[in-house]
Amino acid sequence: VTSSAPTIAAGRRPFDIKLKLADRIGDPLLRLLAALAALVGVGVLLWIIWTVIDKARPAISQFGLGFITSTAWNPVKGDFGALNFIYGTIVSSIGALLVAGPLSVAIALYLTELAPRAIRRPVGMLIELLAAIPSVILGLWGIIVLGPFLGNHIEPALHDVLGWIPLFSGTTLPYGMLPAIVILTIMTVPIVSSISREIFQTTPSDLKEGAYALGATRWEMVRMVILPYGRAGVVGAIILGLGRALGEAIAVSQVIGNANHDHLSWFAPAGTLAAQIASQYQGAVTPLQTSALLYLALILLVISLIVNVIARLIVRRFTIQGAAH
Amino acid sequence: MAIAVVSAIALAACGSSSSGGSGGGGSSGGSKTLVGAGSTLVAPLMSTWQPAYNKATGVTVTYGAIGSGGGIDQITARTVDFGASDAPLTSSQATACKGCIQIPWALAATVVAYHVQGVPNHLKLTGPVVADIYLGKIKTWNDPAIKALNPGVNLPSTTIQPVYRTDGSGDTYAFTQYLSKVSPEWQSKVGFSTQVSFPTGLGGAHNSGVGGLLASTNGAIAYIAIAYVVENNFDAALIQNAAGKYPVPGVPSISAAAATVKSVPADNAISIVDPPASAPDAYPISTFTYVISPLKNPKADTLKPFINWAITTGQADGPKLEFAPLPSVVVSAGKTSVNKITS
Repeated sequence: VTSSAPTIAAGRRPFDIKLKLADRIGDPLLRLLAALAALVGVGVLLWIIWTVIDKARPAISQFGLGFITSTAWNPVKGDFGALNFIYGTIVSSIGALLVAGPLSVAIALYLTELAPRAIRRPVGMLIELLAAIPSVILGLWGIIVLGPFLGNHIEPALHDVLGWIPLFSGTTLPYGMLPAIVILTIMTVPIVSSISREIFQTTPSDLKEGAYALGATRWEMVRMVILPYGRAGVVGAIILGLGRALGEAIAVSQVIGNANHDHLSWFAPAGTLAAQIASQYQGAVTPLQTSALLYLALILLVISLIVNVIARLIVRRFTIQGAAH
Repeated sequence: MAIAVVSAIALAACGSSSSGGSGGGGSSGGSKTLVGAGSTLVAPLMSTWQPAYNKATGVTVTYGAIGSGGGIDQITARTVDFGASDAPLTSSQATACKGCIQIPWALAATVVAYHVQGVPNHLKLTGPVVADIYLGKIKTWNDPAIKALNPGVNLPSTTIQPVYRTDGSGDTYAFTQYLSKVSPEWQSKVGFSTQVSFPTGLGGAHNSGVGGLLASTNGAIAYIAIAYVVENNFDAALIQNAAGKYPVPGVPSISAAAATVKSVPADNAISIVDPPASAPDAYPISTFTYVISPLKNPKADTLKPFINWAITTGQADGPKLEFAPLPSVVVSAGKTSVNKITS
């Protein structure tokens, strides 16, 4: 604010000397403020990581690495483990992205290449608006509409056809892994599809025209030009969506049934790291339980960081390959 | 990442401003306020107390129904003026709270509710049968054990879905304490606390979350605070008491259970689950709910009259919300305890 005031008065002669002074101070000041802002960002990140590690320490010294392979979660006996929640987190997120990935690529292709021009913008905007729905409202919709629909119609049908696979066996329910996967799919589609669309839009038109000139059909052009060109970006977008799905707590805890059971079935109630932290942190019975919840948070943090690093590696590899062509 | 960092800063800012607000708001002059948090069971009663007490004295009481466990956490951290819990403090919680006193200030019940299409209200169950359902040993509604208790009722083969609370809850405490008393297997496998490891079923947060799961799941059984059961017209099971009777959960049967209290222990922790057979009309899962305050409380001058009002005048608001009036022996013990709080 202080540096902008003299600029307004720049045309007036008597202020010229002051203006130069302001310029001299302005540049270093700008650099200082910007550096400070960056430092705050890095500082908060380190602060959060340190807090999680520090508060998880009692549980780490009590349970060690065995915490990761234990399925216990017993506040009465003070015995805690993370395995069921790690399993629930990974299955719900990867399940969601297996559906959301192809769906998003199809949406992005439709909106960049296939749809009539007049509807591309409005449809694209509506799909992006899906990302604006607060997760707690999506979770409520999951409770009221999606869960009962899946539990009463889709799950019995899956059970009849695929019941011999453990994933689709057991009692059907409005709450469980499957509703969580579908909710996470709905949450990640707008992210993945909007990024993919922007990537597909950057495909140079001379490449596309070249493919057509060589007699390619539209499908061949998509397969040989657009998809290879956008591959790195789409993979990055999917992993970005995965990061979103791994950490979602509210909507998942509303529909997943919050159970610590080692059922393979997608129809059974389950739990995820984020949902468990959200539903139990307030009112944990003992300090050890609070610490065990922070240990879950640490595991979630590590998984998220690993996913992020993998995403960067994949994107870099594809980018280098793309550049070599 | 950038968004995450910005929101983290925003959260940190919120946190510091709100804690500063509640800390500083107490000692400053002007209108008197009390801030409390905890039990969701007592929340409906609290919401009738708040306007009534404000009208009578001008004191504004703010209450957050965050669950009993949360209430104990908040008063232990001294971020509120009083906590509220349906479960008495455990010895480790009492140590952590550093000189806290608990006073019973309301009396209610946890009800076993169910949602099974085609089954009428007031199905009869016993404690051991409920324990076996929650242990996963009784799996369907037409199980012989349930049939035997309900001759003439047409029970479907629907799978039973036990529903439980995931947050720290006094309802969980009363319910699991009752099951521990009537089922040795429950006692050894699960035990009792505000949070336990349920062997089967699905979990929801707070009475509202459990009510939502119950309403939308055919075949579900749940334990919920009595006020929520009445408000939502859930079907309520009749639980057999020690005398072999099936009293309807309500103010008369809760009062009958409370009448078995002849004296109050020094720490005010009173358990009336599974009352003796000498009380034939007693509902077996009745529970006292407590207000918790540090013995040295900066807001003592405002809090003490409020607690005294709640355990006397305030009791009249109870019955229409399914809270039974406190027995006189508990009221007089409460008044003695209130006097121990100083500023």
